[in-house]
Amino acid sequence: MGRKYYFIILIILLGLGIYIAPFISLKGSILDPNTGFLSWGLITTAFVCLSVLGFYLEFERAATGAKEIALVAMLGTISALSRLPFASLMNFQPCTFFIICAGYVFGPMAGFMTASLTALVSNMFLGQGPWTAYQIFTWGLVGITAGWLRGLRLTGRREIIVLAVFGFIWGWLYGVIINLWFWAFFVQPLTWVTYLLTLLNAVIWDGSHAVANVLFVSVFGSRVIRTLERFQKRFYWKNAGMITGAAATVRSIGSG
Amino acid sequence: MSSGTSYRYQDRDTVVHRLNPFAKLAWVAAVMLLAVIFDHPLYLIMLFLSTLPVIALARAWREWASLMRFMLWMSLAIVLINALVIYQGSHVLLEFTFEIPTLGQPKITLEAIAFGLGMALRLVTIVSAFVALNFTVHPDDMMQAMLKLRLPYKSVLATSMSLRFFPALVDDRERISDVQRTRGMELDRGGLLQRARNGGAVLVPLLSNSLDRAVQIAEAMEARAFGAYKRRTAFSEITLSGWDRLLAVAGLLPLPVGIYLRCLGYGKYRYYPSLQRLDPGMAGWLALAVLAALLLAILPLAWFRKRWQLD
Repeated sequence: MGRKYYFIILIILLGLGIYIAPFISLKGSILDPNTGFLSWGLITTAFVCLSVLGFYLEFERAATGAKEIALVAMLGTISALSRLPFASLMNFQPCTFFIICAGYVFGPMAGFMTASLTALVSNMFLGQGPWTAYQIFTWGLVGITAGWLRGLRLTGRREIIVLAVFGFIWGWLYGVIINLWFWAFFVQPLTWVTYLLTLLNAVIWDGSHAVANVLFVSVFGSRVIRTLERFQKRFYWKNAGMITGAAATVRSIGSG
Repeated sequence: MSSGTSYRYQDRDTVVHRLNPFAKLAWVAAVMLLAVIFDHPLYLIMLFLSTLPVIALARAWREWASLMRFMLWMSLAIVLINALVIYQGSHVLLEFTFEIPTLGQPKITLEAIAFGLGMALRLVTIVSAFVALNFTVHPDDMMQAMLKLRLPYKSVLATSMSLRFFPALVDDRERISDVQRTRGMELDRGGLLQRARNGGAVLVPLLSNSLDRAVQIAEAMEARAFGAYKRRTAFSEITLSGWDRLLAVAGLLPLPVGIYLRCLGYGKYRYYPSLQRLDPGMAGWLALAVLAALLLAILPLAWFRKRWQLD
C-alpha cells in the first residue's frame, strides 16, 4: 500500500469523524452542537472543504502530465452535460453511474476529479451554493471507492452485477452524507431523530437516485466501460502516441 | 440545448458584472458567513434585502427567480422538520394524543415554526448571495481568481478546460443526435426503456468522440511544452489595481464588523421557550443600520469606479 492510499484513508476517516461527532455527547463543551458558540454547519463545511482540498492536492501529485488533466476534463464535462436534462427528475440522473465508471476504469483520482467537475460545472448552470462542496465530497467518495473495485478483477456479468449493487448502495449513502449540510445548517436540535427525519424528507430523492444507478449500470454499463478501457489502452500506449500526437498537432495547426 | 443553458453566465455591461471577481467573492463570503453567524430574524432579513439591489443592478432576476422557486420547496421542508420535531416552546398550537417512544407526546409549537422560518430565511439569503456571484462572474475569470488564491493548479486547469469544452460537447451531442436520426432512429419516441436505449446510441459515440478530443488536447498541450517549466505564463490575467483592492476590502469589511457586533451580543435571538421580542432596542437598530450601510457601500464604490473608469 503506497502513501496515496494512506492519505485517502486518512481523509475518509476525517470525514467519518465529523459525521459521527455530533452524535457523541458534547454537552457543556464549546463544541456542543446545540448550544455551543460555534455553528456546527460552519464546522462541517470547513472540514468538507479541507477534505476536498486534500483530494485536489493529491490529484496535483498524481496527475503527471497533460494526458491526465485532459482526460478528467473530458470525463467531467460529459458527466456534467448528462446531468442537465435530468435536473428536474428528483436526482434521477446518470452522473453517479458515470463517476462510477470513470473511477472503476481510470482509478480513484480520476473518479474523484470526474466527480468534482460534475458538481462544479453542472452547478454553473443549476446554481452553486454551499452544497457544491458537499456534492464534490460525496460524489468524490463514490469515484474513489469505485476505483478500489478494480482490485477485484471482475469480468462479464459479475462485473455489471457488482457495479449495480455498488451503485444502489451509493444511491442511498449519497443521501445520507449530502443531507448533512441541510441538517447541520437549518435544523435544531441536532439529534438522531432530527437527522433521521431529514433523511426521511429526502427518501424519494435517494430512492430514485439508487434506482437510476442500477438502471444506468445495467443498460449502459458494459458498453461505457469497454469504451473507456479502449481509451485507457490508447492513452497509456508508449511511443506510438508521440507520432500520432505530432500528426494531430500538425493537423490542428493546419485547420486552425 | 435544453433549458439549462439559459441560466448560464451572460455578459451584461452592468456595474456588478464589471466589478472585480475578488471584490464579489469577498462580498458574497461576507454575506454568507454573516447569515450563519446571526440568528436574529431582523438581521437575516436585512442580509437578504441587501442582496436584492445587487441582483437588480446585475439584471439577474430571471436566474434568481428560478433558483428561488426551488428554495421555496426546501424552505417548506425546513419549517416542517423543525415544527414536527421540536416540542420545546410554550405556545402550543396543536397537541397529539399519542406518544412516540423517546420523543414523548408530539406537539406543534409556534416557537418551532418561527425557528423554521428563521432558518428558511437563512437559506434563502445564502442562495440569493450566491446568485449574485454565480451569474455575474465569467467562468474564466473565476478560474483565474482561484489560481490567484493559490488553489491547486492542475485541478483548476481541468475545471477551466471542462468549462471551455462544455459548449463544444453540447454541439457534438446535437450532431450525433442528428446523425442517429438520419439513420432512422427515433430519439424522441417510445417508452422509457426504449428512450434510455436510444440515449445510449448518443452517449457512447459522444464518449468516444470526447475521449478522442482529450487525446488531441493532451497532445496539443505537450506540443506547447506543458509542464516543462515551473513558472507558467498565462494568456490573460485578471489585474488587481489599487481600486480593485479597495473594493475587495470594502466587500469583506462587513464580516469583521459583524463578528465584532456578534461578540458584543448583537444579532442574537432566543426562540425557546418563548419568542423574544423582535425589537432589538436602540443600540440594536443602530448596529443593524451600520451593518446594512457597510454591506451596501460596495455598490456606490463600484458605480464610481465604472463611471470614471478608475484604475
